[in-house]
Amino acid sequence: MAVGAIVHGTPSDAHDEPVDSLYAETRDMRLLGFVLFLISDVVLFSAFIFAYLYLRNSVPQWPPLGADGKQLPRFDTLFAAVNSVVLFGSGATMHFALESWKHGAKKAFNAWMASTIILGSLFLAGQAYEYIHAKVTWAGSTIGASFFTLTGMHGFHVLVGVIYLIVLMGQANSGVYTKLKHFGLTAGTLYWHFVDVIWVALFTLFYLI
Amino acid sequence: MAVAAPAHANYHDHIHPEPTNFVQKYIFSLDHKIIGIQYFITTFIFYCIAGLLAEVIRVQLLHPTGGFVSNEVYNQVYSVHGSAMVWLVIIPMLTGGFGNFVMPLMIGARDVAFPWLNMASFWMFPVAGALLFSSFLVGAPEAGWTEYPPISLQGPPGTSLWCMAIFLVGVSSTLTGINFLVTIMKMRAPGMTLTRMPLFVWAQLATAMLSMVATTALAGALLALFLERTFGVPFYDPSKGGSPLLWQHMFWFYSHPAVYIMILPAFGIVSEILPTFTRKPLFGYKAVAFSSVGIALVGFMVWAHHMFTSGMVPWLTLPFMILTFFVAVPTGVKVLAWIATLWGGRIRFTAAMLFSLGLIATFTLGGITGVFLAAVPADLHEHGTYFVVAHFHYVLFGGSVFGIFAGMYFWWPKMTGKLMSERLAVAHFWATFIGFNLTFFPMHWLGLMGMPRRVPIYDQQFQSLNVLASIGSFILALSTLLFFANVAYSLTKGKKASSDPWGARTLEWMISSPPPYYNFKKIPSVLALPYDFGEPLPYVGGDLIRPNPQSKFAGE
Repeated sequence: MAVGAIVHGTPSDAHDEPVDSLYAETRDMRLLGFVLFLISDVVLFSAFIFAYLYLRNSVPQWPPLGADGKQLPRFDTLFAAVNSVVLFGSGATMHFALESWKHGAKKAFNAWMASTIILGSLFLAGQAYEYIHAKVTWAGSTIGASFFTLTGMHGFHVLVGVIYLIVLMGQANSGVYTKLKHFGLTAGTLYWHFVDVIWVALFTLFYLI
Repeated sequence: MAVAAPAHANYHDHIHPEPTNFVQKYIFSLDHKIIGIQYFITTFIFYCIAGLLAEVIRVQLLHPTGGFVSNEVYNQVYSVHGSAMVWLVIIPMLTGGFGNFVMPLMIGARDVAFPWLNMASFWMFPVAGALLFSSFLVGAPEAGWTEYPPISLQGPPGTSLWCMAIFLVGVSSTLTGINFLVTIMKMRAPGMTLTRMPLFVWAQLATAMLSMVATTALAGALLALFLERTFGVPFYDPSKGGSPLLWQHMFWFYSHPAVYIMILPAFGIVSEILPTFTRKPLFGYKAVAFSSVGIALVGFMVWAHHMFTSGMVPWLTLPFMILTFFVAVPTGVKVLAWIATLWGGRIRFTAAMLFSLGLIATFTLGGITGVFLAAVPADLHEHGTYFVVAHFHYVLFGGSVFGIFAGMYFWWPKMTGKLMSERLAVAHFWATFIGFNLTFFPMHWLGLMGMPRRVPIYDQQFQSLNVLASIGSFILALSTLLFFANVAYSLTKGKKASSDPWGARTLEWMISSPPPYYNFKKIPSVLALPYDFGEPLPYVGGDLIRPNPQSKFAGE
């Protein structure tokens, strides 16, 4: 913020400015860095989504034929839809958690955070259930390869997110963040929404089309 | 440090405090200058190893029946040579090395945005090198640096180590890209608007965007290859419904932009050196700056020109051919701007300048053969021949490595505070220039005559040109020793460098050589571009060292 202020001031002001405001690691640096990290993560998912669409378009029918020559089944859309609602719900609770923190409502913050963590874990449990009952295997077909790799990568991101949220909750309660300075919580929220958005794409690709 | 004047005793509070013990200072350092030098040391070690691998290739090809190493080992040698030169030498040296050491100084910053991340990015990199070179112990990858499946799926166990090593380099490269982008966008000195940035910083900006976006796509491709090799997950194996072409698309979506990751910083180095040694502003500053970004953008849309003979959908070849021709436009803008800078300038042929001029000549040749290869009808004939090998060595050695040496001679006094021997450096240039052209020029003919690349034995008719190329490569290898001799000479007996031995005007030359830990005691403000040699310095405030009017080059 101070950098911008000085650019528009007269240049001779510059060295009167205390140095720390110029060269501390500022919030907008962290924010830009974190957003760039998320963009590069989107590219990683995009690479596998490209692979999925490429393999899907290289065969006459989808799902492809299994080893026995019969067409493989589609995934259970209803179950995944319910599980998606759980994940999107956690996006909403995360939003309320951050808002509560900004308004200084610590109790509400803890309640919303806890529900986000629980919903996130529920989603992971749902995904585990789906993996166990899946009718395709990871190494058996291209649909299985794409499905388990992409949803597995996403699930890994959710798992990391849940752990991250637990850490954030602990930090918030031990006084690391204040009402005004809470970049960690902002980053956690961004990350959690990012995980949601990726799931919108994966749900559409594997269950709807 | 003793330099700390009491009035400014608190400046070092605002970057990480200066370390006092050896490990924090030189091993796990947070200082961008030390990390830059760590990159240089590691990459030059890898450069020597990968260079020796190249010599194995050239010794093998002295005779049409080979016989120096077995066919399998030969395949491993050129695969690791290519991978190491691309990922362990050129990319990290130009971004991690020069980017780290020079870029923050040029924008008037005390460090990069995230010093911890910077240190982590560096330390991933020697680990990746160890993984890649240790693959020789279990059977190194055999399918070339591009590792096309299905050959790479059947390759020796070292192929999986290759995947891990390149994945790790990719993570390091992505994190460095993020770090540099934030640094350039958020940490420029007051008054340094985007269009007052030195051109090397523009080049780093374009490169950071490329490495941030493209490298994760490669990480995806590598992860899929690793999963398929380890767990049999079908992505690329056609017998299980996968597609080898998929790998080629994913690989080249990264690896074509990677070509620009390897050349743009070298262009940036040349764009700094030419004005300094012609005493003229760079011709067409904005055109050169924006052409870096232009190359970066077009570079994302041309990857399938590597795949004209792969059996890809035929109608795609035409748009990819035309788009590839478009890359020649911003590149041509740069070359013409450089030549216009030389026009009427007072040229001083220092080693850095000679390497820059050498780059303009050899890179242009490599660029032109690139246009040949982009033309589908010509490519159908030349693909997979030594013509391609000649082309990319003119671009990557004649471009990137010449740029690296130009930058080394230019910034060496700033890094070490010592001057190198100009005489030895000029000798190094001529030996490199002659050795390089002797090695790679005959490969154009070999390719057009039909000699395929990646073969351990060849037809009798190709022998004389191959012997010529091998002799050239021996000269090239020996020329590198002149550089290392110069390093040793400079570090032991070199003259002390002033803050600005070349009369250059970007910010890094306005502080002592080597720069103090905090770089700038007070951050200066920038009023204009740094290239107007007739004008007073465009900086106010700060505590800059003004050029000594008695010095040889100052005030010209």
